[in-house]
Amino acid sequence: MASFVTKKRGILFPIALAAILFLTLFPIYWILAISLKTPLENISPVPTLFPKTITFQNYAGILSGGYLRNLGNSVFVTAASTFLSLALAFLAAYSLSRHRFPLKLNYAFLIWIIVAKMLPPVVLAVPLYDMFAKMKLLNNLWGLVLVYQVYTLPYCIWMLFGFMKSLPLEYEEAAELDGASPFQTLGLVVLPLVRTGIVATAIFSIIVAWDEFLFSLLFVRSPELLTLPLVIANFIGEYETLWGQLMGVGLLATIPVLIFSRVVYRRMTQAYALGLK
Amino acid sequence: MKPSGRTRGKAPFYWLILAPALAVMLWLTVYPIVNILFTSFQSYNYLTDARHWVGIKNYTDILGDRVFIRSFTNTVIYCVGTTLFEVSFGVILALVFYGEFRGKSAFMIMAIFPMMLSTMVVCAVWKTLYHYDIGLFNYILKSVGLAKIGWLIDKDKALISLALVDIWQWTPFAFIVMQAGLSSVPTEIFEASAIDGSSYRQTLFRITLPILRDQILLLLLLRIIDTFKVFAKVFALTKGGPGNATETTSYFIYREAFSYFKLGRSSAASVITLVAVGLASIYYLRKILRED
Repeated sequence: MASFVTKKRGILFPIALAAILFLTLFPIYWILAISLKTPLENISPVPTLFPKTITFQNYAGILSGGYLRNLGNSVFVTAASTFLSLALAFLAAYSLSRHRFPLKLNYAFLIWIIVAKMLPPVVLAVPLYDMFAKMKLLNNLWGLVLVYQVYTLPYCIWMLFGFMKSLPLEYEEAAELDGASPFQTLGLVVLPLVRTGIVATAIFSIIVAWDEFLFSLLFVRSPELLTLPLVIANFIGEYETLWGQLMGVGLLATIPVLIFSRVVYRRMTQAYALGLK
Repeated sequence: MKPSGRTRGKAPFYWLILAPALAVMLWLTVYPIVNILFTSFQSYNYLTDARHWVGIKNYTDILGDRVFIRSFTNTVIYCVGTTLFEVSFGVILALVFYGEFRGKSAFMIMAIFPMMLSTMVVCAVWKTLYHYDIGLFNYILKSVGLAKIGWLIDKDKALISLALVDIWQWTPFAFIVMQAGLSSVPTEIFEASAIDGSSYRQTLFRITLPILRDQILLLLLLRIIDTFKVFAKVFALTKGGPGNATETTSYFIYREAFSYFKLGRSSAASVITLVAVGLASIYYLRKILRED
């Protein structure tokens, strides 16, 4: 079925293409443009498409405002929570794909974590806040690393479970015959085999953790511990006219994840194929 | 979902390596849900730590609370509206850009940029575009001689403005899912239909869309589940206002708990939300169970 636009190969197709690209890319361009304008130009009632004078003063403001520290917090929390999720999920996914637990635990657990992922996180936030307060894990980046598992762990278990399920068992059986212990088999045979799966899983987990807002809003108070989404939210709320700096921080928060677009596109194209071929 | 092949090794090993993830999920998800179930039948003020049983009072209060009902209907309107737009745009885009053309993968990669951005970054840029006095949208309206719109401050428009942001951010997701589905259909199917002399429209309604039916349903569900949670956009763009025009259930629960410290009411609202999400997802869960 030729596309009803490509079929004509006329003027319509490039126009459609350009329109979509414009709609997608313009707001991203706008982030960049605002971050390069002077504060005065940004509050002018006549918005300019290009900065009249390109200035880096907003970026200087970000540096002197100490927001690189917040970038560091985001990187740390994202990396640590992804690492923790991958480690737990690697073990759990292997276990669930190789052993039949009693009482249909395999089903129950996998279904449960999907349900957990569907819940609005605020539902869990209230009791967790209480619990984390008692454990002295509030206002602590490690607390965030733990609570992010609500989002990242279900993701990682499901993705890695898919990869593990499709692994042939022969390698593991061979390792066992050679006298490898279960942990050796896991580390030396299974881990290298699912390496690409782990990388793909890590990327999705990174994107989720990087974007997280609710728990960092509730669990972290000190300015020097905030993650980037929180800094942006504070900018939006408190300094309503510092658009240049706001967009500068926005760009800092954007670039690290945009580089994954290609992988995400590939991965999703595979994952959502219909399987008719 | 069945364990592949025969069970290997000894059970204790498998229990041992499942235990950490199991413990974390029980701790972070099961415990909180049990907790809100109990708390929803109590009056509990976090600040004074006063807690006592009140039966179903929280539920009757909440269900009679105009603000909660408003937040629930807002959430449903937002959720259904954005989902329908995103999925239909996704299907249309996948059809328009079906097939190979030069630069397709570069185009697709750029087309998914919006869903890669942090929600807060998206909110920030849309907040500047929507600004009543110095935003780009109102400037454009003004320069073509139209009246300015109070995108985020007009109570009839604020919810729509929020929905537009979600549509911009997540239509790319619908697009990529539908295009993955469509391009995995063997071309022979369409060729056969063309040989039989079907028009484009006939092929579309008799072959293409029926093949994609399950994919479209899956997409609808994924977007419903996600948009039902809406919190960050409300927090960043409107704080539930003007009035209660953009109050959503997530935001309601958040405020009851963290601004008013009424944990009983907040828990009751959470339980109602849980039930709603549960009912909406039964179909999805059944589908997953059937597949494996």
